[in-house]
Amino acid sequence: MAQTNSAAENAEKIKIRTLPHAKDLKWPMLWWIGMEKLYRTLPWKKTAWTCAAFPIEMMWIYDIFPDHPENMATVAAARKQSQRLIEHAEGMGFSRDVCSYCKTNIGAYETRIKKTLGGISKPDIVVCTNAICDTHWKWFQLMADRMNVPFFMFDIPKWVSGTDEKTLEGNIDYVVDQFYDLIVFIEKHTGKKLNEKKLHKVLDRSMELSNLWREIFEYRKAVPSPYSGAETSAAFFPLVVLPGVQVGINFFRKILADIKNLTAKGEGTMPPGKEKFRVLWEGIPFWYRMRFMYDLAQYGIVIAFEPYTYSFAPEKKKCATLEEMLRHVAKLIMDTPYAYNLERRIEHFEKWIDEYKIDGVILHENMSCRPSCAGMVDLAEAIMKDKGIPVLILQCDMNDPRVYSEAQIKTRIEGFVELMEAKKK
Amino acid sequence: MIFAAIICLNFQTKYHLSGKQRAFAMKKLAYFDTSHEMPLEIIMAAGFTPYKILGDVHQSNDPADKYLSSFFCPAARSWLTEALARSDQWAGIIFAQGCNASNRHYDVWKVHVRTPFLHWFGAPMLESEAAKKYYRVELNRLISHLESHFGVKITPEKIREAIGKSNEIKNKLNRLAALRSLKDISNREYLAAVIKCLTSPVDEVSAWLDAEIQSWSARPAFPSDKKRFLLTGSDVTYVEWMDTLDECGIRIVRDDLSVGERFFATQIPDRGDPLDAIGDYYMNIPRPATRPNIQKRLDYLYKTLVETKVDGILSQNLKFCEPYAYDSVPVNNALKAKGYKVIHLERDFTPAADQQLANRLAAFVEMMEVENNGSNQQRR
Repeated sequence: MAQTNSAAENAEKIKIRTLPHAKDLKWPMLWWIGMEKLYRTLPWKKTAWTCAAFPIEMMWIYDIFPDHPENMATVAAARKQSQRLIEHAEGMGFSRDVCSYCKTNIGAYETRIKKTLGGISKPDIVVCTNAICDTHWKWFQLMADRMNVPFFMFDIPKWVSGTDEKTLEGNIDYVVDQFYDLIVFIEKHTGKKLNEKKLHKVLDRSMELSNLWREIFEYRKAVPSPYSGAETSAAFFPLVVLPGVQVGINFFRKILADIKNLTAKGEGTMPPGKEKFRVLWEGIPFWYRMRFMYDLAQYGIVIAFEPYTYSFAPEKKKCATLEEMLRHVAKLIMDTPYAYNLERRIEHFEKWIDEYKIDGVILHENMSCRPSCAGMVDLAEAIMKDKGIPVLILQCDMNDPRVYSEAQIKTRIEGFVELMEAKKK
Repeated sequence: MIFAAIICLNFQTKYHLSGKQRAFAMKKLAYFDTSHEMPLEIIMAAGFTPYKILGDVHQSNDPADKYLSSFFCPAARSWLTEALARSDQWAGIIFAQGCNASNRHYDVWKVHVRTPFLHWFGAPMLESEAAKKYYRVELNRLISHLESHFGVKITPEKIREAIGKSNEIKNKLNRLAALRSLKDISNREYLAAVIKCLTSPVDEVSAWLDAEIQSWSARPAFPSDKKRFLLTGSDVTYVEWMDTLDECGIRIVRDDLSVGERFFATQIPDRGDPLDAIGDYYMNIPRPATRPNIQKRLDYLYKTLVETKVDGILSQNLKFCEPYAYDSVPVNNALKAKGYKVIHLERDFTPAADQQLANRLAAFVEMMEVENNGSNQQRR
């Protein structure tokens, strides 16, 4: 370990090469911020709070601006604001054990911090699902009550290990029924009506955005990796709030062109010859410590695949009828890789390990996301047994920097690197 | 010779019975339920005794901790520990959708707990028409799985009969629980009674409850040195913690726990289609924190507070129990805003008396006494 340690410290600093158009991420971000201002200024426009795995397209179809508390919580963390916001929420009585996104959002709303620091304003409606976790609906309902805003919750049945097709169809029926309830809710509380022309336009764009991201992921299979998790963690922003609008598509097209160019030249995101270990990162990044991904590069680690950002780009298809489309979307909501059951998780992880030529897996055991941590030990054991590669379970938190311990994490990473090195010999 | 015959008979009972025969010989069908979502009447109609897995606080969670991180609910880890050790005594296990952090434990149980029958019951979160329809789908799926696996027929008549028995238990438990604010009934006795009803055969419990109602009715009046409290928050599953409350001068006279009033506060409608009746019941029982919405949970608390005069409210949260941790802030604020004295605390999963916690509770009770004395002096 001492050797590895000194090797990493003494070696020349390895810089991850960012894509030429990476900086263009500012355009979709500025567009989104600008749109919010517009939607809040014009009296006939409406705004909503939404969450991950909610069909955001529904908001754009109805011309409702989708604000995103989780997204803003990550901004607060990246701008080093999350700790004070979390502590503010804890000062209100919230336990240290509950989700740090939720507490960041509560702190941000209560302290009225600026949007650019992760602030968020009161919406016209609050809509969410429990597809990822129940925290979403507990948190959103709590805030909807606090803000006195109408609240809608999409109840997504659990796709547990061993669920058969017949059960799945029953689950889809339930979600489809709720789509009609959602339509009634939106129309009642916003006065907006469904515009079929807009519906098709939004869905077509959403499909194109997803397809572009999936194509980018196809190129990430190349060795050396042209695009690492250090970049995707920020670049996937359009998938979070912009499925259905053009600006995200424009950005992804440029990113894809950059990646095609790099792979055609046989180049990667790491300097030539420096990519030693291709790692799969499972879980949400440490938003307050984005440098962590760059720190990994000092050990020759590139994050070649992460299910988290991939989850936001499911394979969408064009449907002939509204009913067919709703059934398709219902299944997509239930089928997000971030919420896969243990059996499907093992199956897909092992497939991705082969496809992306993975040398090791880091599982972020996120104290703010208990559901995602259930079965992690079994997942690690299955991968080690079936694929013979090291797996590191790293306990930390996505938004609460108080949980991050630099020295402990460094020690764990160095041990993990040694195992990967030994395996490669 | 007789000895050999007994051994032979035991061997046959243990190893030579068919799967179905062995299941019925075991009788207990266990269920994992973080609140009160499991339609027990279906288990009863299938010919089994529903057994709520509650773990054992006296056993180390090490067996479960091999598979689950220590930041998961310690009660749920204790349930896994119990299942790892005792699942061979159960005909099967049913998971009812409840707390989201532990819903995914189903996958872990599927890998590690040996059981011939494992079923996921997707109890919906909502009470909408869509949810009612889905609830019915899930009930039918459960019935069909039980019927095909155990070779039984779950008829509407059998379900009606189970509903009748279930209501009988709820009714008797309600009468028993009502004595808490009138008689000298320890916190331990009340919790032990509810646990017995959740884990023992219905017929056995029914007769036992009759005797207890008689016995509790004959007790001395409510002790003057105790304060009447409403207990809310995470489920309490071990009697030792209730003893701590007694030692601090607190008597729980009302609660909204699942191992408590949520289980028996309302009756299953005894009319029409039995599956509709079960649906109506489970979607309208006092809400736990694992179900929307907070106002409905508060409505039940307000109702109990109108029915029973209490001195204070004890809100408690088991370490890592997220649903109640979220609810505790708005729920306690709402109760305080109505003028109730509320104390909130977090507890560990341990039978050992937590002296720090006891000190806080004792101080809270003392403060109440000082306030009462003050107001009495002012009245004089």
